Amino acid sequence: MVFPSGTPVRKGHPVATTTRIEGDAAPPRDRSAASPRKRLNGSRWTRIGIPYAMLAPAIILFAAFMAAPILYTLYLSFQKKQVVGLGLGSGGSSQVFAGWENYAAAFGDPEFGASVGRVFLYGLVLVPCMLGLALLFALLLDSPRTRAAGFTRVAIFMPYAVPAVISSLLWGFLYLPAVSPFYYIFDKLGWDAPQVLSSNLILFGIANIALWGGVGFNMIVIYTSLKAVPQDIYEAARLDGASEIQMALRIKIPIIAPSIVMTALFSMVATLQVFAEPTTLRPLTNTLSTSWTPLMKVYRDAFTRDDIYSAAATSIIIALATFALSFLFLKIVQRRAFGQED
Amino acid sequence: MSRSALEAPSSDPTIAASASAPAPTPTSRSLLGRPKASPLSTTILILGAVYCLFPVLWVVMAASKDGGELFSTFTLAPSGNFFNNIVELSQYRGGLYWRWMLNTALYAGVGALASTWVSAIAGYVLAKFTFPGKSTVFTVLLMGVLVPGVILAIPQYFLMAQIGLTNTYWSVLLPQIISPYGIYLSRIYAAGSVPTEVIEAARTEGAREFSIFNRVALPMMGPGLVTIFLFQFVAIWNNFMLPYIMLGDDKLFPITVGLSGLLNQGASVPSMYTLVIMGALLSIIPLIAMFLLLQRFWKVDLAAGAVKA
Amino acid sequence: MHRIFRSSAIAAVAAAALLTTGCSAGSGGDSGPVELSYWAWAPNLEQVVEIWNEQNPDIQVTVNKQDGGDPAITKLLTAIKAGSGAPDMIQAEYQKIATLVGSDALADLSDQGAGDLEDVFSEGDWDQVTLGGDAIYAIPQDTAPMMFFYRADILDSLGLTAPTTWEEYAELARAVHTANPDQLLGTFSANDAGWFTGLAQQADAEWWGIDGEAWTVGVDEEPTQKVAEYWGGLVEEGVIGNQPMYTPEWNAGLNDGSQVGWLSAVWAPGVLSGNAPDTAGLWEAAPMPQWDADEPATGNWGGSTTAVTTQSEHPEEAMEFITWLNTDPEAVTALADVSGVYPAAQEAAAEALTTAPEFFSNQTDFYDVVAEVAETANPFTYGPNVNVAYSAYNDEFAKAADAKTQAAFIEAVTQMQKITIDDLKSAGFTVKE
Repeated sequence: MVFPSGTPVRKGHPVATTTRIEGDAAPPRDRSAASPRKRLNGSRWTRIGIPYAMLAPAIILFAAFMAAPILYTLYLSFQKKQVVGLGLGSGGSSQVFAGWENYAAAFGDPEFGASVGRVFLYGLVLVPCMLGLALLFALLLDSPRTRAAGFTRVAIFMPYAVPAVISSLLWGFLYLPAVSPFYYIFDKLGWDAPQVLSSNLILFGIANIALWGGVGFNMIVIYTSLKAVPQDIYEAARLDGASEIQMALRIKIPIIAPSIVMTALFSMVATLQVFAEPTTLRPLTNTLSTSWTPLMKVYRDAFTRDDIYSAAATSIIIALATFALSFLFLKIVQRRAFGQED
Repeated sequence: MSRSALEAPSSDPTIAASASAPAPTPTSRSLLGRPKASPLSTTILILGAVYCLFPVLWVVMAASKDGGELFSTFTLAPSGNFFNNIVELSQYRGGLYWRWMLNTALYAGVGALASTWVSAIAGYVLAKFTFPGKSTVFTVLLMGVLVPGVILAIPQYFLMAQIGLTNTYWSVLLPQIISPYGIYLSRIYAAGSVPTEVIEAARTEGAREFSIFNRVALPMMGPGLVTIFLFQFVAIWNNFMLPYIMLGDDKLFPITVGLSGLLNQGASVPSMYTLVIMGALLSIIPLIAMFLLLQRFWKVDLAAGAVKA
Repeated sequence: MHRIFRSSAIAAVAAAALLTTGCSAGSGGDSGPVELSYWAWAPNLEQVVEIWNEQNPDIQVTVNKQDGGDPAITKLLTAIKAGSGAPDMIQAEYQKIATLVGSDALADLSDQGAGDLEDVFSEGDWDQVTLGGDAIYAIPQDTAPMMFFYRADILDSLGLTAPTTWEEYAELARAVHTANPDQLLGTFSANDAGWFTGLAQQADAEWWGIDGEAWTVGVDEEPTQKVAEYWGGLVEEGVIGNQPMYTPEWNAGLNDGSQVGWLSAVWAPGVLSGNAPDTAGLWEAAPMPQWDADEPATGNWGGSTTAVTTQSEHPEEAMEFITWLNTDPEAVTALADVSGVYPAAQEAAAEALTTAPEFFSNQTDFYDVVAEVAETANPFTYGPNVNVAYSAYNDEFAKAADAKTQAAFIEAVTQMQKITIDDLKSAGFTVKE
């Protein structure tokens, strides 16, 4: 599991390996085809037809199950339900063109703005914690001086196998003072325990659930790219008397930087899409509104308010924002981390 | 995006340091002897493990309680109803839980296999061929990562309804075969583990492109594909929104949707917490077993195997 | 890799086999019996339907169990929009009917002779399925008058009795909390809009109404303001909890006696026995505390109907089945005994429900109390955007409950009114203010 290639959307890289294939694209199996004309066709087919034929399953599935729904969502975002009179019975309502109305409504909704702000704060808390811990764990796992690495690796990774809905339910139990062992212990010690579900701390409570579920995944991602680093680099450093910490900071982290960048990117995307944790916790507390995160608003509009048009518009905004942010992030990181390579 | 951006996976200088790294010399470390243990780093990792295992311990304890004990006894005190709860769960509506388990295995197993194959061939082509439109194809496919599943579920339902496939196994299987993330990873694996010379050699022998992929490239990418398989398996296993929207018949439900139903019964029916907790615990076991089983491949791949061929 | 692919082939074959069986189950052949699908969530309903299936080999009904009330409706609306995928019949709560009718999801049953059933049900229930017009959109299945449930053992030990008025309820709340600061008589749940609606209904609120060809919205009026002010005061005082119901914490409270009472509905015994089985025999039921003791009233929390969808290809057979399910004495008895609901068919229900639920075996006149209470339910009209009003309730009252001030509760009512009426207007409904 590596993301070693760094950014998928990078520009200005030299074209090296892959271009080589182009030259000898006409495969020798065409020798059976005697006529030169056929051979020419064959080469064209090999150059364009074969790759596309092999990509066909992915392209068709993508078109059917991602592109088409996205386009449909785009279409819906410019529609609205128009009711006449009391709106009862058949013909009581119809779907009409709405222009930018749904978008205007989303941007004009102060709750939506607040939910965007919340998600940013949430990301600011979660992503550095998650990556920091994941990196720390991965470096420790990679260190020859660590014991019990096999057990801890599996243990830390395990929460990844727990669906977010279930993990939020678990943590919900642990957050509620009357049923939580933590509060029981605090109570016995006579301490005042912080109320995780209160409005001040709920964001951290949710971030903790996401951290619990995701740190192992990211740890494995980073750990596997560490494993791929040739060991002789370390041997040289060891012979020079470098400590494990020095080696981690000066050699390991720079080498796996692209991998960390990709983990950060995917974590960011996941952060913007936070949904399952707050939705599962919402019935337990007064501090989470039905539109606490942007995606919860989408869900509420589409599912409880039966207004897929608003939901579609908000969806499009979220997708575009995610795209813009990812792009921006890669731009910045690219300049900083890979600038000298170009 | 520029065309050359697409060549990144194989031409990126950093890849030389990771995916296509030369095999480490296995003896070098043992020559120096095993370095002495560091209590600090071991302790930190153990703390991490405790943090991750604690809620699981809670589930195991909670799973041993009956409905009353769950809310009346100390949360970490075990009780003797563990097997009663399994029996009760198994008897719920004629063993429906196990049907959900089988459904989930089917969705995740078949879905992840199909997804891995589709990702593998797409990634292989994107890494190893040059053809017009390649960068566009890759960029567009990759943008799929950015669209959350919650958003897609309803339009997917509308489209499925057009072809009359809602409320069938297909409606849950088909949309989850495409995985932009899997294609992205597979492209990296293909670039790092399938040497161009090998493909060229196979072509010289007159092999067809599809069979080069199936017989030569696929086995080379094998360990990486195990990783893709696992990720997609977990993604499908844990998916809630898509099956929730698509399915009306509870005999087709996967575990996530089934358990959520036991929990959200509406105000007038008590939530079946004991069944949900036991059901959640049992549903994690297959995933853990699978990870333990497949993690060998993982290691092989990334530490050594990548470029041996 | 080879092995993996062989096993994948086997899995694919198995999948195909499952898929074919999955598909064929849905569609009835031309010659075979009519097959009807029924989305419902009432517990053990499939056992009630089994009785029908045995007696009617020509009309076979399959129950597809759904998550609680809301998700089933969401799915139905999606299927209606998509043009396929809806079941023949659906269990729909009373408050969902106007929304469903607005989306043209429910078939009008008046052509099928549903009008003959009018006398079987109470006037209030019947009004809800006709929306006051000539069409009949559903048949009442169960009804859920609200009552007050309390821990008789705890009140006895304090020398206190069940309240008859809201004033007494407030005093009792203070007394209970003073006697033991860990105990509360109840909690104000911002998560249960249906619960608050029932309380408002009891106070004579009319949240929606039809005035000629226009809707009216009356959330922010005296009755609801009164209810909000009352609860806001108790929460501010701290003698009533501010945390939602149905949380693990609330369940723990039912078990350990820190929740001394529960304003709930006739189905409460099922929830209590599921969540706090060890407290069996300790609870008693009483009519709701009253605003005006001379004119006893109650509201409903829950209750549902059976409706036929517009996508059903067999509306006649479906009507035949739902008539049986909701009026036939055998079916009604089964609904009460097996499914544990309080059937809407009044006479049949009275005959079926004679012995108190096991959990309330200490209160032999349980169903006498229920019957007495059920007659006092106030009429209530649900509008076409109940879902919007309810999610506004969740958000606004959650804020108020968190703030714990009476003023915030009153403000929440104002906000609810605003959100509800704005939504109606923006959708194009004619609204009279």
